[in-house]
Amino acid sequence: MKSLTSRRARAIVVAIAAGSLALTGCSENKGTSSNKDSKKDQKEASAQSKPVTYGNAAASQGPAAAVAGAKEGGTIQVYQEAGLSHLDPGQIYVSDAGQISNLIFRGLTNFKEDGKGGVSVVGDIATDSGQSSDGGKTWTYKLKDGIKDQNGNEITSADVRHTFERQFAKFIFDGPPYVRSWLAGNQYKDDPRKLLPDGGFGKKHLPDSVLETPDDKTVVFHFDTARPDFPQTLAMPGYSIVPEKTDTKEKYDKAPVSLGPYKISEYKVGKSLKLVKNDQWNADSDSVRHQYVDGWSIDFGVTESTQTKRLIADQGVSKNAIQFTGSVESTQIQDVISNAAINKRTIKGYQPYVMQLTFNLDRVKNKAVRDAVTYAVNSKSLIAGEGGAYGGDVAPNLFAPTLPGYEKDYDPYGRLKTPQGNIEKAKELLKDVPAAEKKLVFAYGNTEQGQKRKVAIEDALGKVGIDVVSKEVDAASYYEQIGKVKNPYDIYITGWGQDWPSPATVVTPVYDPSLVGDGQSNYSHIKDPEVQKLIDKALGQEPTEAAATWKEAHKYILEKVNPAAPLWYTKQFQLYGSNIGGARYSTESSYIDVNNLFLKS
Amino acid sequence: MTSPTKAEGSGSAVALDPELASTSEKVEPKKLEGRSPGQLMWQRFRRDRTGMFCAGVVIFYFVIALLAPLLTAISGTDPYTLYGQDPTYADTPVLDDFGLPLGYFGGVSGVHWFGVEPQYGRDVFAMLVFGMRTSLYMALGVTVLVMLTGVILGLIGGYFGGRTDYWIGRVTDFFLSFPQQLFFIAFMPVVTAFFVDPREETPTYFRAVAILIVLWVLGWMGMARLVRSTVLSLREREFVEAAKVSGASPWRIVRKEILPNVVSPILVQFTYQLPSTILTIAFLSFAGVGFVEPTPDWGRLFAVGARYAEQDPAFMFFPGVALVIFILCFNLLGDSVRDAFDPKSGR
Repeated sequence: MKSLTSRRARAIVVAIAAGSLALTGCSENKGTSSNKDSKKDQKEASAQSKPVTYGNAAASQGPAAAVAGAKEGGTIQVYQEAGLSHLDPGQIYVSDAGQISNLIFRGLTNFKEDGKGGVSVVGDIATDSGQSSDGGKTWTYKLKDGIKDQNGNEITSADVRHTFERQFAKFIFDGPPYVRSWLAGNQYKDDPRKLLPDGGFGKKHLPDSVLETPDDKTVVFHFDTARPDFPQTLAMPGYSIVPEKTDTKEKYDKAPVSLGPYKISEYKVGKSLKLVKNDQWNADSDSVRHQYVDGWSIDFGVTESTQTKRLIADQGVSKNAIQFTGSVESTQIQDVISNAAINKRTIKGYQPYVMQLTFNLDRVKNKAVRDAVTYAVNSKSLIAGEGGAYGGDVAPNLFAPTLPGYEKDYDPYGRLKTPQGNIEKAKELLKDVPAAEKKLVFAYGNTEQGQKRKVAIEDALGKVGIDVVSKEVDAASYYEQIGKVKNPYDIYITGWGQDWPSPATVVTPVYDPSLVGDGQSNYSHIKDPEVQKLIDKALGQEPTEAAATWKEAHKYILEKVNPAAPLWYTKQFQLYGSNIGGARYSTESSYIDVNNLFLKS
Repeated sequence: MTSPTKAEGSGSAVALDPELASTSEKVEPKKLEGRSPGQLMWQRFRRDRTGMFCAGVVIFYFVIALLAPLLTAISGTDPYTLYGQDPTYADTPVLDDFGLPLGYFGGVSGVHWFGVEPQYGRDVFAMLVFGMRTSLYMALGVTVLVMLTGVILGLIGGYFGGRTDYWIGRVTDFFLSFPQQLFFIAFMPVVTAFFVDPREETPTYFRAVAILIVLWVLGWMGMARLVRSTVLSLREREFVEAAKVSGASPWRIVRKEILPNVVSPILVQFTYQLPSTILTIAFLSFAGVGFVEPTPDWGRLFAVGARYAEQDPAFMFFPGVALVIFILCFNLLGDSVRDAFDPKSGR
C-alpha cells in the first residue's frame, strides 16, 4: 500500500490539525456568573418547604381555577429518555410514570398547588382530603358523584376497595409499600401480603376491621396506629384507582383504564405513548386538572443531550415540547443560561434529594473522625463533578429545601462558609485520633460519575490526613451492596428524597433505629434511643405539630450523632418549547407541572 | 545514515524506482557481497521517507510516555491536583461557574500548557503525558503477548495440520465464542473480590495485570487464524517441499522457511491491533472494570473530551490530535515496514 505518499500523509495531518483548529475557534472565556440565579433558587426554596395543608370539601370541588391566557387545542410533545417500567398504577413508584399518572389516573386525594409554593391535599374522587377519627387511626372518605372511568362505568366504593386489595397481589411488587403494610398492621409485619394472598381476586376480601365499605359512596380505613399523613400517602400515583371490572391483572401494566382528563390511544412499549381526551372526565369534578390540549405525544428514547439540543433549537414540533423528568444536560447548561431568550423557557427548582456522605456507624465509632470528615469534605468539587453550579447547591444540613422544616441557615458545621472544606478545623479534631481510626473505606458505584466522586473525596479527605481506601462497587447493585447491614465499608455517598412533603418520609426511612436491616435505607445504622423517641413522637402528631418535633430530631441527629455529612442538594433544571404556556415548577413532583400546560397557538 | 538520494545514485541508472532495483534478484554488479533478507529489508526501509518519518514520530511518542514524570516536573503540574477546586489554588481560578476553563482555548496558559479539564480543573498536559504512558505501554504489552501467542499457535496448527490443527482450531473457536468485553465486565469484580481484601484498595498494578491477562487470553484468536491460513498455503509450496526432501527438521523449516514469509501479515496486524487496544482499554475504564480515576488514561481522556466537544473543544483537541497523529503514523509505519519486507505486494 504505497499509495499514501509522505506528501499526502503530511497533507492529511495538516488538514486535520487545521480543521480542528477552525472548529474550536480561539475566543477567550472570561467567565459567566451564575450566582444570581443560585441565590434566587434559595429564596424560592423557602417557599417550597411550607408544610402541607389538608383541603376541605370546598377546595376539593371542581373545576380547577383557569390558567391565565390558556387556550384549547393542539398536542403537546414530550421527550423522555427511558421507556416506562410500569403503567399499572399499583406499580408506579418512579416519577416518569408519576408524571403520566397525573394525566390519566385519579386517586382518592391529590396534591393541589397554588403556584407560590403552597401545597394542599384535596379530595380527588373523594369529596375532601379525608375525615379522621379515633385519634388518626380511622380515615373516612366519601366519593364524589358522577365519577366515571373511560368506559363510562361509575366508580363506586367497590372499585376503591379493589384498588387497595390488589396491592396485596403478587404481581404488584414495584409500587409504594406504605398502605399495604399499614393496613396489614403489626400482626403481619414481616410479610403484609399474608393478610390477603390472592389480592381480592378470589372470594376473600379485606375484613371490615381493616377496610370498610358501608355503602356505594363511603370507604373507611382502619389502622392499628395513628396515620396522620394518610391523605398525602393516598395522593401518590401508586394509589390511583383501578376499576374492578376491567382489571386485567398483569396485562393491566400495558393497557390501564383511565379516569383522568386523558386516555391512552396508542402505546408502543419503550417507543411512544399517545394520549387523547377522555370524554368521560368531568371538569366539574376535578379541582386540579385541566383539559386544555387535545392530546399528548410522548416519545421515548430521546437522550437528555438530544432533548436539550432540540429544545434549544426550538424548531417545528419542538416548540410544543417539554421534558417530563429529563433535565438540561449538564454540559449544555451554559448554552441555556447565557441566552436570555432560552433561559426564559426554563423550570428551575430543587429536587427533593439531599446527597450525603453517610458513615457506617458500626465501623466509624469515633465521633471526632465523623466530625472531621464533615468539616473536610469539599462540596464544591463534588458539585463540579455533577455539572457545576446547576448540578446542585452546597447542603448545610440534612433536610432538603423541598421538605417542610427546612432551615436554610441551620449550618452547624459551617459548610456554607467553607464549602471547599475547613481543613484546619478537621486537622485539629483529628489530632489525638490514632492512625487506625483514620483509615476509612469509601465505597463508590463504578461509573464515570462514581469515579469523579471518588477523586473528589480522596482529594479532600487526603488533605486532612485521612487514609481513604476506595472500593469500587458494581454500579447497578450499589444501593443493594451498601444496604447490607454487615457491609465492609465505612463511608458511602447516598441520596434520599421525600415520598410526600413530610419529614416522616425522610427521617423515618433513613434514621429510624428500628428500621436497621438488609435492604433498608437506614444506611448509617443509627441506633440512638433518643432518635427513636423523637421519631415515635412525631409520627403520632398532626403535620403542623409534628414539624417542630421533626426539627428537634433533625438537630439532634446532625449535631449529637452525626451519621452523615451533608454534601449537596440536587437541582432541577428543565427546558420547554416556546409555544408552551402555563409552565411552572411543581413543588410536589419537583418537575414541570403537567396539569396547567397549554399551547399558545 | 545514507541519504535516500545517495542510495539511489549508487544503484543502476536504469532503475527509476530504487525499490524495484533492489528487489530484482540479481546482485548489483559493483559489489558482489551477499545480503540477508533482513539487510535488504532495512535498506529498502531506509529509502522510504514516510516510513522513516513515521518511525521517528512513533519513537518520539514512546519516549514522551517514558519521560512523563520528567516532563511534568518541567511544566510544574501533576495529573492529580484539582486546580479548579483545590482551596490552595483559590487565588488563581481556572474555571468559571459552569466548570468550564477560563481564558483562551480551554485555559491554555504558561502554567497549564494544554489548558485544564472542565469541572475539576486538572492539568491536561500532565494528564495527557501520564495517560500516554498508561495507554501506550499497556497496549504494547497486550499486543505483543497477543501476537506471540497467535503466531506460535497459528504456526503449529498450520504446519502440522491433522489432529493438532483440529484441536488448536477448536480451542480457538472456543475462545472466539466468548464475548470479550462482557466477559471482562463479569470477570473483573470476581477476580478483585477473590484476591483483594474488601477493606483494601485494589492496587493499580493489579488492575493492569488483570487487564493484560484478560485482553491477552481473549485476544489472540484472530492472529492465530491469520497465521494458520498463511502457513497452510505456504506448507505446500515448492521451497518447503524441497527443504523437507533435503531432510530439514520441522523446527528448521518453521523457523527458516515459513516464519520469514508470514512476517508481513503479522506486522500489518500488529499496527492495527495496537491503536485499537488503546481504545479497548479506554472502553474498559468506561465500563467500570478498567483503570479508574484518577489514574490517567489517554483513551478515556479523549472519550470524556468528546462530551465537551461543543462547550470546550480544546479539551478534546490535544488528546485527540495526539491520538490521530499517533495512529496515522503507526499505520503508515506498518505499511512501510511491510513494503520493505515484501515490495511486490503493494503494486
